[in-house]
Amino acid sequence: MNKLIEILNAIRPGVDFVNASNIIGDKLLDSLSIIQLVSKIDAEFDIEIPVTELIPQNFNTVQAMMDMISRLEEE
Amino acid sequence: MSITSLSFILFTFGLLIVYYLLPMSKRWIALLVASIAFYLIGGPASIIYISVTAISVYLATNAMKRLSDERKAFLKANKTVLSKEEKNNYKNANKKKRKTILVCTLVLNFGFLIVFKYSHFLITQVNTLLSVLHCGQIYNSFSWIIPLGISYYTLQATGYAVDVYWEKVVPERNPLKVMLFVSFFPQITQGPISEYEVIHNELFAEHQFTYENFSRGFQRMLWGYFKKMVIADVLSPYVTTILGGYKTYSGITCLIGAVLYMLQMYADFSGYMDIMCGYCEMLGIHLTENFDRPFFSKSVSEFWRRWHITLGAWLRKYIYYTVAVSKWNQRITNKIQKISGDKSWVSSYVPITIALVCVWSFIGLWHDASWVYLKWGLWNAVFIISSVWMQTKYDKWREKMHISSQNRLFRTFQVARTFTIITVLEVVAAVEVLHGSGAEYFYRVLTDHSVPNTLNQLLPTNGSDSNTTRISLMLAIFGLVLMLVFSLIQRKRRIRDCFNNVPVLVRIPVMVVVVLIIALFGVQASWGVGAFMYANF
Repeated sequence: MNKLIEILNAIRPGVDFVNASNIIGDKLLDSLSIIQLVSKIDAEFDIEIPVTELIPQNFNTVQAMMDMISRLEEE
Repeated sequence: MSITSLSFILFTFGLLIVYYLLPMSKRWIALLVASIAFYLIGGPASIIYISVTAISVYLATNAMKRLSDERKAFLKANKTVLSKEEKNNYKNANKKKRKTILVCTLVLNFGFLIVFKYSHFLITQVNTLLSVLHCGQIYNSFSWIIPLGISYYTLQATGYAVDVYWEKVVPERNPLKVMLFVSFFPQITQGPISEYEVIHNELFAEHQFTYENFSRGFQRMLWGYFKKMVIADVLSPYVTTILGGYKTYSGITCLIGAVLYMLQMYADFSGYMDIMCGYCEMLGIHLTENFDRPFFSKSVSEFWRRWHITLGAWLRKYIYYTVAVSKWNQRITNKIQKISGDKSWVSSYVPITIALVCVWSFIGLWHDASWVYLKWGLWNAVFIISSVWMQTKYDKWREKMHISSQNRLFRTFQVARTFTIITVLEVVAAVEVLHGSGAEYFYRVLTDHSVPNTLNQLLPTNGSDSNTTRISLMLAIFGLVLMLVFSLIQRKRRIRDCFNNVPVLVRIPVMVVVVLIIALFGVQASWGVGAFMYANF
């Protein structure tokens, strides 16, 4: 999880992602940041996030992102 | 059938009566019959193409669903028997079949769009190349009627097919319901481009007649007609005269012409949306909104999230994200990263840049099959991409200057800057379509300081200069002021909530006056203009 938080802080410094519960709804990440995030996650975790996973539910909390990463790692 | 004609009013109100007389579960059939009738009146031959789109999408989505069901059933039945590799092989083979169906559907439907909308443009380019090579020319003088709304219904129908391929929606089993989804007449000529799940729920839900829906829908329709006929159509001859003959007019006239063009376009397009959203509200159907006070945007990208919202959402979902996270984009990014010496900014910005160039090339060509609009799209991309690349530096500069992002003066500056950029891009394209030079137009705005002596010199028109025309112009200007006031109110409250709090004895006379203004001044102005600007796309 720390690796993911590091990535998020590099994209949007100063945002408290750990305690955020509605990251997309509160516009803490916009569509541009999401793409940056996806390419960094792909590289760091050696996975491939397909376009079908780009839904708010997968990015609204750090835990939701981790769940998605774990699921894709298993596949 | 023109939406500003009396026959359209009779058609829609006739449908309204039939719709509410039918049992609730059968009302969608009235909408289907009306949509087909609307289409047949618009161009009988075109019904073939929209039917092919509906049938192809119906067959493809159901075939993909069958394959998905087969896969799920097979994997469930063999859960303990198959190894992980065998399961993946089966999944990939199944996915390949579904992909083949999807690709065939996209090729067929975008093929229609390309043939009808882009064949002249493409043949012209090939002929230019052939003339350079001193070869013969391809025949390019044929003409055909572009099927009504093809640019809109193609995007909506293919988006639905992709959603089924992604297994995000369950496809419709009734082909007639798919036909209604593709051809629903209020959105066929200018959108909104609806997502299947959203519009499906609205079209096939059982809507009860309510006075609230009826009166609010009627109010919105009326405001839409006012915007289209009393503002946009009255401004149209002035804008066309100035943009078409800018060489003979002063800088101030050209500046006014540029601003009026933007306001005309907004009144025209959002007026259409108000008419159709209002009418659908009377039917109990809520269409997706296409505008959110776009002239108050603080950046070019924000403007395009608030203007023609449903087109932007379609492009974001099916092109922007797909390209941005695609394997080929990642490969290009990795190569650039290696060449640049592993710079971290490459992985941040290159995928987005490539995706934005694809999206804006598409938008440009979607608007018109011409180099003018391709250039217009790419200029928009330049502004958006540069703002992405410069964002960090821009924020640091702002902090250094001790300017808060919430500072009212700074936000006003951002809004004015965005309006200026968008106006320049739109007017350059419009002037170039009229065979002028956009650069020359704005050079005139900046350098010609002559002062027009009369109102006719300040606001010239090739049309008549009667008293009625002048009163119409005053009403259009009053309408523009109303649009601004309503936009300001809408920041905090919905304008119709305010209006409906007014006593009915005041509301009715106000609406009667609006109807009279439209009848006396709007109808006359519409005779010379008629069609909606975005219907051409």
